[in-house]
Amino acid sequence: MTLVYRLLLRSLVSRARVVALVAIGLVGVLIALAIRAADLVEADRTVAITRDLLGGYGLNLVVPVTALVFASAAFGDPTDDRTMVYLWLTPLPRWRLVAAGWAAALTVAAPVAVLPVVLAAALAGADGRLVGAAAAGAALATMGYTAVFLGLGLLVRRALAWGLAYVLIWELAVARISKGAARLSVSVYSRSVLSAVGEVVKPRNAAAVSTSLIVLGLVILAATALTTRVLARADVA
Amino acid sequence: MTAPVAVASPPAAPVGATIAVDRVSKWLGPVVALSDVSFSIGPGVTALLGPNGAGKSTLLRILCGLTSPSQGSVRVLGANPRTDLGLRRHLGLVAQQEALFEQLRAFDIVALSAGLHEVADRDVAARGALGLVDLDPDDARPVRTYSKGMRQRVKVAAAMVHNPTVVVLDEPLEGLDPRQRLRMIELFVQLGAQGRTVLVSSHVLDEVERFGSQVLVLAKGRLAASGDFREIRDLMDERPHRLRLRSSDARRLAAALMAGGSVVGTHLESAESVLVDTTTVGAFRRAVARAAAAEGVRLLEVTPLDDDLDSVFRYLVGR
Repeated sequence: MTLVYRLLLRSLVSRARVVALVAIGLVGVLIALAIRAADLVEADRTVAITRDLLGGYGLNLVVPVTALVFASAAFGDPTDDRTMVYLWLTPLPRWRLVAAGWAAALTVAAPVAVLPVVLAAALAGADGRLVGAAAAGAALATMGYTAVFLGLGLLVRRALAWGLAYVLIWELAVARISKGAARLSVSVYSRSVLSAVGEVVKPRNAAAVSTSLIVLGLVILAATALTTRVLARADVA
Repeated sequence: MTAPVAVASPPAAPVGATIAVDRVSKWLGPVVALSDVSFSIGPGVTALLGPNGAGKSTLLRILCGLTSPSQGSVRVLGANPRTDLGLRRHLGLVAQQEALFEQLRAFDIVALSAGLHEVADRDVAARGALGLVDLDPDDARPVRTYSKGMRQRVKVAAAMVHNPTVVVLDEPLEGLDPRQRLRMIELFVQLGAQGRTVLVSSHVLDEVERFGSQVLVLAKGRLAASGDFREIRDLMDERPHRLRLRSSDARRLAAALMAGGSVVGTHLESAESVLVDTTTVGAFRRAVARAAAAEGVRLLEVTPLDDDLDSVFRYLVGR
């Protein structure tokens, strides 16, 4: 499995990809610096703006987009460049390939997604608790989104477009309006952790921390199981 | 003169049919890629012959489990190649596509293939496999700098590194120079002689002849013929052939050939040119020279008009 992990990791790290995503993260850092420079009189107002920055920009945009780019490429790149045949012909169980793909995508996505969020929280003047909450929320969201998007590169040709549509339509629109849909939203659970740990105002349709952790764990398990099934049934060119 | 190819023996020599294909069809959307194909082959070299688009690659992909048949069943070493992962330890594939891990060295790619097949000593296995195809394991260049022939040899080494019992090669001689073709054919023949099942696809008749092997002829997704290469060759020679003869007196020559019974039809094009149809090419070639000499006609040119591979396959399919 280590071999597959290293192979996929090597193909995932392209300069263009990393630079583009770090740039998106840096926008959040710049906004944080602007918040600090504004030197707001009301401390509550600063906390509220910082919370919105972390939840809105960080967990709703930086994390899912970063996870989408890397996770969908983990199996999407070998499919596109037709090197998938070498992976496919290994006698290793498919779930081990998927686990290696998830680990590889997470290895690249986590620092690119989580660090800007944590940095933004610290630079905006958030206390240690909120910074820790930002790190926990971003890390959990990265794990969840990476698992969800892993199979996308196998399922569809335009994985980025489909993934962005999912984030914008489901996570940012439907899950906010509908309480039922919110139960199936990575964003809602990761923001619930952020608000609970950071002791800031809860997002709409928030869940308890324990529920959020369990559901995110189940999402990861279900998504990797589904990806394993898709991989086992894929037609390899 | 090339050095003898040294190949490790396969783990166990299978007896009887190692690949069994039973009434396999495959549809790709509205296109029928394979239609009701059945055959079984055992150890030794078998050539899969057919023009481009005949369904060869689709069949080989099915045999390796890369895609499933729409209908019918396939067994390789008694296992289902699509679902039995353990089979892949005994299966080597040289895929048709050029794709390789471009940034890696040849040694890294072959060692990677060894690792993916859970070979114990990857480095030793990789060095041995690269030696088989005359590539330097210490070459520091990435494969993106390699010629097409060298890349093809890397693929063969990667397919052989785990010492498979069944080797499937999709157009493996493409891009190789004549010396490397000979070397590779020698390797395939040796692999077959060791008791491995070697299935090689090609669209070049002469290439297949050199394997001296069993042949499966695939055309338009159907198995058009199968058997010993000599039988297939005879079958191909028995088909009606059309030739254009240019001579100093086409009418006199055509009349002599008809009278001699070596042609079944003639069509005069001009005073110097006649089209003739024959079902016995070998006998006709001997008869035409004799007839020209007997009639005092100067024979200028004999041109076969349907000796291309496509017309051969069309004949076999239409039989």
